[in-house]
Amino acid sequence: MKTTIEKEFQIPEPMAKVWEYLSDPTKIVACVPGASITEKIDDRNYRGNVTSSFGPVKASYNGEITITELDANLHKMTLIGKGVDSKGKGSADMTMNGILSEVSRATAVKFTMEISITGMLAQFGARLIKDVSDQLLNQFVANFKDRLAGKEVDNTMSGTSMVGSVLKSTIGGIFGGHKN
Amino acid sequence: MIQERKTSKEISGMGHSMKRKEDGRFIQGKGHYVDDIKLDGMLYMDIVRSPYAYAKIKSIKIEKAMATPGVVAVVTGRDLEKYNLHWMPTLMSDTQMVLPTDTVMYQAQEVAAVIATSRYAAADGVEAVEVEYEVMKPLMDPYKALAPGAPLLRPDKKDKKDNHIWHWEAGDRKKTDKLFETAEVKVKEEIYLPRIHVASIETCGCVASYDKVNNYLTMYMTTQAPHAIRTVIALVAGHVGLTEEKIRVISPDIGGGFGGKVPVYPGYVIAIAVSFLVGKPVKWIEDRSENLQADSFARDYHITAEMAGTKAGKIQGIRFKVLADHGYTDAAANPSKYPLGLFSICTGSYDYDTAFIESDAVYTNKPPGGVAYRCSFRVTEAVHAIERITDKFAATIGKDPAAFRMQNFIKKEQFPWKSPTGWTYDSGDYAPALQKAMDVIGYDKMRKEQVEKRKKGEIMGIGICSFTEIVGAGPSKDFDILGIKMFDSAEIRVHPTGKALARFGTKSQGQGHETTYAQIIAEELGIPAENIQVEEGDTDTAPYGLGTYASRSTPTAGAAAAMASRKLRDKARKIAAYLLEVSEADLEWVPGKFFVKGAPEKSKTIQELVFAAYTNHPPGMEAGFEATHYYDPPNLTFPFGSYICVVDIDKETCEIKVRRFVAIDDCGNIINPMIVQGQVHGGLTQGIAPAMYEELIYDDEGNILNGTLMDYLVPTAVESPSWETGHTCTPSPHHPIGAKGVGESPTVGAPPAIANAIIDALSPYGITHMDIPITPYKVWKALKEKGVVKAI
Repeated sequence: MKTTIEKEFQIPEPMAKVWEYLSDPTKIVACVPGASITEKIDDRNYRGNVTSSFGPVKASYNGEITITELDANLHKMTLIGKGVDSKGKGSADMTMNGILSEVSRATAVKFTMEISITGMLAQFGARLIKDVSDQLLNQFVANFKDRLAGKEVDNTMSGTSMVGSVLKSTIGGIFGGHKN
Repeated sequence: MIQERKTSKEISGMGHSMKRKEDGRFIQGKGHYVDDIKLDGMLYMDIVRSPYAYAKIKSIKIEKAMATPGVVAVVTGRDLEKYNLHWMPTLMSDTQMVLPTDTVMYQAQEVAAVIATSRYAAADGVEAVEVEYEVMKPLMDPYKALAPGAPLLRPDKKDKKDNHIWHWEAGDRKKTDKLFETAEVKVKEEIYLPRIHVASIETCGCVASYDKVNNYLTMYMTTQAPHAIRTVIALVAGHVGLTEEKIRVISPDIGGGFGGKVPVYPGYVIAIAVSFLVGKPVKWIEDRSENLQADSFARDYHITAEMAGTKAGKIQGIRFKVLADHGYTDAAANPSKYPLGLFSICTGSYDYDTAFIESDAVYTNKPPGGVAYRCSFRVTEAVHAIERITDKFAATIGKDPAAFRMQNFIKKEQFPWKSPTGWTYDSGDYAPALQKAMDVIGYDKMRKEQVEKRKKGEIMGIGICSFTEIVGAGPSKDFDILGIKMFDSAEIRVHPTGKALARFGTKSQGQGHETTYAQIIAEELGIPAENIQVEEGDTDTAPYGLGTYASRSTPTAGAAAAMASRKLRDKARKIAAYLLEVSEADLEWVPGKFFVKGAPEKSKTIQELVFAAYTNHPPGMEAGFEATHYYDPPNLTFPFGSYICVVDIDKETCEIKVRRFVAIDDCGNIINPMIVQGQVHGGLTQGIAPAMYEELIYDDEGNILNGTLMDYLVPTAVESPSWETGHTCTPSPHHPIGAKGVGESPTVGAPPAIANAIIDALSPYGITHMDIPITPYKVWKALKEKGVVKAI
């Protein structure tokens, strides 16, 4: 199953600084909840893993991250991650696009994340994946902002907290509450 | 039309609402199911399943699993291959993997089995098995799978050049095509009956217990057909020494079957193989998701239905085309001659002589199966198609659907009626059943109310289904499974004190056989039903039979019970003549005793006669009081009924509410009215299920998106309306007790009644068809397209 999420936000930092973070996989990955880089193959290719909880299923994906596009002129990067769950529950592919543009005294950042999941997670988590992914991206954005502001970032993930916040946002949605 | 009761309440023969004998243990929680079986030294099996719908297996590493505490073995396809047990035949003479050696064909397919000393250890072992796959793009759409150049899914079949499985036809193509060239009115609809699952409360499972010393396998398993399974095991495993006399299949209490417990699943075979190799009992019980994701599906028919007729409203013929999506193997459970099951009953309850049905089956990357979910081999699909297209025809010519049906029904005097696809309907009287349903629901009043509601912009619909079923497979000239004819059997032993033990080749999964079979014997022999112990499900003790599915138990084994009882009654007559010193012709039978004509005080009760069979039997007569009968029915039985449903649809939320549902069934003579009512209630609830809730959904990658009961919506008491039931009674002329099957009629009749009601409700907005399940979202989408509701 596939899901696409988009996020746009502004950071009160100059574009050059934002680009420095966006174009460095080690810095970017350190902002992705539950993710870590385990090995650098070359400038464009890395090995890493992501651990995430989707409802009742915890998945730990080991895989490769490839930077397929890194355009310093357009301030655009595309990253493809492919992972297989270590317990045979399936696989996940992710394509993430980030593009920067200058606005008055700040940088506008636009992220698009396309996630394709196969296996048990797609069965059990179908209802939750969109919301969980949305939360993941929210968390990622918060981490990204914090890092740029020079704060410490803890990107380890706790499954219960994620489900809790998803439930909150889902139920909030049902009852017409405002989503964060 | 009213059935007369011949026996007293004490005897409780046919027509008595005797309380179910089996319920004593069920309501006390004392049912004995396969998972209740615990044997000394028993091992537990759990299964590694594929996360992918279509992938090559590059490697299976078992080292970590073997190192898991409690794990004793991991079995892969390569292990089974050594014994030539990695493939098995299906009931439709196709082949199915037990465990794959190279390729997985659907998501959740068995990949390896872990055997451990506890269920928990087995599950831990499953997590530790490392399988490396090379993922391939699955074929999920049957039309794409049939398209030229589609990747070949079954290269193991040497003569296969495409994914086409079989082609089957019924009726007269030439005559039908000619009719459709000239007919005044022609209507056509594309109807999809989606994949659904029987979702029985108890999942499948077994305990395979092989005794190495005596070379004897005892197989406790959830099966609706224990004898057939014993034969299948012997056919699959005979070459390793497990021949049929060395196999005992025991089917304990079953928590719902509905067709899902007819097939042989790989889990059963692996458990047998492991028990055979290690010499210990092995238990395998599916969990809920495994059951939903990997066990045989039902339906998945793409139907093009056409009807031709006159402007005045006379149906002249039908032309149906079916594409059957069977998943990666045809593991349906149909009689051998009928790969499309009994779908050719789709000519329905109407009088015309021209029909043509053609069908093709195709392989895709979905789980195998094609079981008849609470229906007699695809009757549900057939009835849905004919009843939808009938409604569409009536709407097209502007006729009321009830009047249109009345105009076209086969009339009582036309029975036995030869259908254009070759069936001989045994008996029927359709108009009174529909009239009764119309009277109960207040049809004309409802139509008037609908007119008023429509003026106010409210959405209300009335839907009818007047179905004819074909059940009780079946006559041996046409019906067999793997060559075994579809008779069924009864064996009655009456003990010296006049109490009986009766055994059958069928197997109840909740139908109440322990009560109804006893009532049939009580009817015929006059022994109180209470004193007749019914046993089924043990192949070492029961006579051979093909099991319980397709509403066949009453038509076959029930008939066998009556016939065996009659043999015993003949013997009782001989003993009575001997004891009363009169000729047999001078004796008359009333339930429970023989008396001398004209001298009713000279009589012998059945109990006295049975006692004499052991203590004072006539010279030259065999002692004892036992009889066995194998009943080969001369024809199938054709139960029918008319259902009417009234729905209200909320214009804002598009929620569909079934306000009224009237079900008038005619299953001939009734054995136990209370049990029939229970069957109808349960069946109707399983009828609203596919009509409004259930569908197994796959995405393009082959992921099943609702493989849990959180997502696969099974209706409960909350969703069920208050069912209004009733009967007409048109006995089967060929069945010994005039009975027909009933357990499946409501599952067959309810979905089209509901669909027709919803479409009737939406017809003012130009909506002429919707595929089931019709959900509020589908209604909202359809109304949005028509501009009736706005996007939120």
